[in-house]
Amino acid sequence: MRKKLPGLCTISLLPHCTPRRWQGVSTGSNSMLIPFSMKNCFQLLYILKVPTAGLKNTAKGGLILQSTSNNIYQNLAVEDWIHDHMNLEGKPILFLWRNSPTVVIGRHQNPWQECNINLMRERGIKLARRRSGGGTVYHDMGNINLTFFTTKTKYNRMENLKLVIRALKAVQPQLDVQATDRFDLLLEGQFKISGTASKIGRTAAYHHCTLLCNTDWISLSSVLKSPYQGIKSNATPSVPSLVKNLLENDDTLTCEVLMESIAAEYAAYHQTDSNIILINPTDETVFPGINKQAEELQTWEWIYGKTPKFSVNTSLNLLSEHSYSEMKIHVDVKNGRVEDCNIDAPDHWLPQEMLDKLRTRFVGSKFCQCEATVLINALLRTYPKDHELYSKWHLLCEKVKTIM
Amino acid sequence: MALRAARSVRAVTSSLWAAAGAETPGSLVSLAATPVRLRAHPGPCSSPFLAAAGSRGLCTSVLRLTVRKFTDKHEWISAENGIGTVGISNFAQEALGDIVYCSLPEFGTKLNKQDEFGALESVKAASELYSPLTEEVTEINVALAEDPGLVNKSCYEDGWLIKMTLSNRQNLMS
Repeated sequence: MRKKLPGLCTISLLPHCTPRRWQGVSTGSNSMLIPFSMKNCFQLLYILKVPTAGLKNTAKGGLILQSTSNNIYQNLAVEDWIHDHMNLEGKPILFLWRNSPTVVIGRHQNPWQECNINLMRERGIKLARRRSGGGTVYHDMGNINLTFFTTKTKYNRMENLKLVIRALKAVQPQLDVQATDRFDLLLEGQFKISGTASKIGRTAAYHHCTLLCNTDWISLSSVLKSPYQGIKSNATPSVPSLVKNLLENDDTLTCEVLMESIAAEYAAYHQTDSNIILINPTDETVFPGINKQAEELQTWEWIYGKTPKFSVNTSLNLLSEHSYSEMKIHVDVKNGRVEDCNIDAPDHWLPQEMLDKLRTRFVGSKFCQCEATVLINALLRTYPKDHELYSKWHLLCEKVKTIM
Repeated sequence: MALRAARSVRAVTSSLWAAAGAETPGSLVSLAATPVRLRAHPGPCSSPFLAAAGSRGLCTSVLRLTVRKFTDKHEWISAENGIGTVGISNFAQEALGDIVYCSLPEFGTKLNKQDEFGALESVKAASELYSPLTEEVTEINVALAEDPGLVNKSCYEDGWLIKMTLSNRQNLMS
């Protein structure tokens, strides 16, 4: 959604800041020259709609960008790219984005502690790890993400949240919304509608936050509940909160209306053009190297492998047609892989040799149901003969998989 | 003699803060070229520099100064027996707020100067850590896994982050 202005023309700015003063433009009906500032070039090629009355350049006090993609990895890559490559001195940026159903964990979090990984896999809900800190959130198209890019010195989360509150009240003045000292936004003093996280780099910083307009809260509450027991970890934990959608309060508070209001408020505050520039996060001509960054964010090594060291200590019931027993299992996981594993099954339930074999196979493997399934199936093929033994072995392996 | 020592420490401290504004990334600021033996005034973060700089912190007993170099990103490195210890300054730990997690590299990681080697997550943000030197990691402070707040409480002593080889003395001097 962009503001449509009369007499639109399209200009394209070349990347890599070639020092051109004038850029030729063709509108089809009339041509005009738009003066192009030599200062503060961005390594960004974009299509900009400007009125022919002619703003001199796009980014007097800042930029407002909106992603055309709903892919979490591509959108997180945009954040990384802007943070790493753009000069934000005097030119802060607001980035608006939404994603298809995804759970996003903080940089130092443990996904096994935070969400139901297997349920998400069944439902096709993605899992992503962002580079900023903070807790776990659920994204879908009913949630708006806002990223405020500034220099390190201008980093100010409360200022950004006050801006959002003003934007919300511009649409609905009666709305009871406040920022807390944890930088959450609360509706009616109790329902969280926004959570915040940030990253500070060498010279730049970003603060991003969510905004719940019309999220599927049933899906949210089911996937943000971890079924995994016995995890001991020093990963940063989430603080669970009661949430509510803004749309439940007032059906005029749709994502589209709110994004427009926030953009207008941002433009007013930073005295910048309120046009929202649409960007395609996969366009290498605009963002050189961005696809590689997006790929890195999707790797197992980043999503799971960056989990701080943790251990699992739990008991599993072994109920078979012949018997009922309990086994204790202890697993140490480092960089997402099994560092050590101890299975304590009842005496003579299974030959120790089989348990040792399972243990040896697991050590070094990914702490992952899929990988465990492959290993277990390979092992099961070596024990086909004795039915009772086979079914106990099969049961044990299935139970072990449930902790992953 | 204590007063003369205090004056030289103040002079050194003001040159530190002046140099901290330097634009060249990764430039190291050397402190205490003249060996001044003073005993640290106790405080939440025992920075001898800040204790000496504030007149109320100064006591008549003797303060110990460690030779320590600072980058303009507020990381410090101190050298002893061919090993460099790296941490963040008091200014940095105060700016970050309460640290809740320290992400540090593995033993043996080879770092280049200004490489990102980890991150500190605080209530404020996730902040990246940059290597002050091109060297290999020999040790990481495992105490920070259980108590990341050590960086706030004792940024120059118990809250150190990593240790590196100092294979090339020129590295430290540049």
